[in-house]
Amino acid sequence: MTDQIPEAVFWCLALGLFAVTVLLVRQHGITARQRRRNEELAHGLRARDTELRHLLTVRLPEVEDAADRTAPQTDLLDTGLADTDFAACLDEVLDRFAAAVEHAEARADESAKAAVKASMRSIQALANEQQVSIAEMQDRHDHPDVLRDLLEVDHTNAQFGRRAQAIAVLCGSWPGRQRATSALIEVVRGATSRIRDYRRIRINGEVDIAVQSRAVEPVVLAVAELLDNAARHSQPHTTVEVTIQTVHNGACVVIDDAGVGMDGQAVDHADELLSGRRTMDVTRLGDPPRFGFAVIGALAERYGFSVSAGTLSPYGGVRAVVFLPTGLLTHLETVQDAAPTATASEPGPTRYSAPEPTAARNSTPVRARASETAPARTAGHAPAPDRVPGPPPAVEPTSPAASTVETTPRSTAPSALAPGESTTAGGLPKRRRRSLREAAEKPAAVPTVEVGGRSAEENARRMGAFARGTRSGRTAQSTPYEDEGNRHE
Amino acid sequence: MTARRRPADRLVRSYVVTDGRAHPTRNTLDLVTLLVVTDDLPLTGLNPEKRRLMELCRPGALSVAEVAGHLSLPVSVAKVLIADLMDSGHLITRAPIPAARPTDARILQEVLDGLRARL
Repeated sequence: MTDQIPEAVFWCLALGLFAVTVLLVRQHGITARQRRRNEELAHGLRARDTELRHLLTVRLPEVEDAADRTAPQTDLLDTGLADTDFAACLDEVLDRFAAAVEHAEARADESAKAAVKASMRSIQALANEQQVSIAEMQDRHDHPDVLRDLLEVDHTNAQFGRRAQAIAVLCGSWPGRQRATSALIEVVRGATSRIRDYRRIRINGEVDIAVQSRAVEPVVLAVAELLDNAARHSQPHTTVEVTIQTVHNGACVVIDDAGVGMDGQAVDHADELLSGRRTMDVTRLGDPPRFGFAVIGALAERYGFSVSAGTLSPYGGVRAVVFLPTGLLTHLETVQDAAPTATASEPGPTRYSAPEPTAARNSTPVRARASETAPARTAGHAPAPDRVPGPPPAVEPTSPAASTVETTPRSTAPSALAPGESTTAGGLPKRRRRSLREAAEKPAAVPTVEVGGRSAEENARRMGAFARGTRSGRTAQSTPYEDEGNRHE
Repeated sequence: MTARRRPADRLVRSYVVTDGRAHPTRNTLDLVTLLVVTDDLPLTGLNPEKRRLMELCRPGALSVAEVAGHLSLPVSVAKVLIADLMDSGHLITRAPIPAARPTDARILQEVLDGLRARL
């Protein structure tokens, strides 16, 4: 019995040891798993920390700075977190932040625009007022020295007005001036008038194309900005070449400078601005503000012309091309023909009940005429009937206003007046120049003309009597000589 | 009253028209100087205002004041253009018809007698 005790103890010990071993092994496994899990959790925590820091330092500022909120933003650092709730929450934070920033910026931009627009409007009005008084002074003062100073003031004022106008346009305002339909070359020269280095601009090309009134001022402004850029970024002794040409779908103004040119990034930026797709806000113009391209882009988008500035000019600088589609253009002849007719017949609508309200507006006869006859021209019809003196006005049934305008002077003054030189608006006959050529061309027309109900012979007799009387009076009194006129060579 | 815009509203400013100059190359012009086109010099190379001026003067003599009025330019600006055109030989000027200057009473008396005899 006693010799069995150690065996029993041994077995007990062995069993205990085994149990302890098993327990130890299990404990070890559990600990290892625990440690791993701890590590994982710690890693996850670290990743979230990093992710938060990343959100704070990179992603949020990015959203803040990005002009376009829909552009793809930087993703999570740890892709393992991609589908977790945490990532979803972060995205939510980001979205909310973006929305808040956008809202705040929109409000700030709007109020800034409104303020700037209002002040620019008043500055523009002042510039226009000043321009009127400068022009009046130019009319009033005859001395070249005074004129020189006035021209300088005028030049500065024109640039000043353009700047105000450009900023106003950028703030969503209209270009401001309403102009009559003008020849494209006048439009380009008008743009030349508004830049500093106007004497370096050379304009080539002759086209008989005019720009419709509603597009005149925007095109002037856009071309002026391009010319200003071209002149500003090239050497003072170089010229800026402007070429005007007609193309199949409209007309082009090509501006070549011999300046520094633009690198790829600048070209991309310029293209983006010129397309007008990106809305430019006044808070992002940089310092010093560069708004030329943004203004052009806004105008181009609003009025439907296009501007590109990406290509290299033959002189090594930038070539900018303004393309004006046919819709903005009209024919020059139409404008010139319409002007005298409309001038001569302005009382027409008051005497005749004009069917069209456009004809009744005295201030815009040229424009009304131009837009009426323009489609006929562009569609390739025969010349507009107002150029032909003979045929009755009823040949153009599509424009009742035009036919009314046409009949007015003819019915009031039947045969005395040639088509070119009728009467003024007040009904007075226009002075006709004496010319040997004209007199030789139509001698037969003279005797039939009756002025004031008397025949030409009667008039001649009276004039002769007057001359005789004057002469005899002078010789009788022998009046001392007075030089009334001015001396000339 | 007429459709012509106010001169203040001109699209092309005066300094572009004169290329920045205010002094005409000659100061012999005044409001009533008559301008006559010399025949058929080519108009190429002239700016639109000069071309228009030539077209205005082509039918016959026109005074400086009238030209300025037709071009709706200030007279002093028109003078610069006219002086240029005179330099390039496109225009010549003629003094206005002077006031009657009875120098010799005898000639006048003869003319008067002759006229009386005829009428």
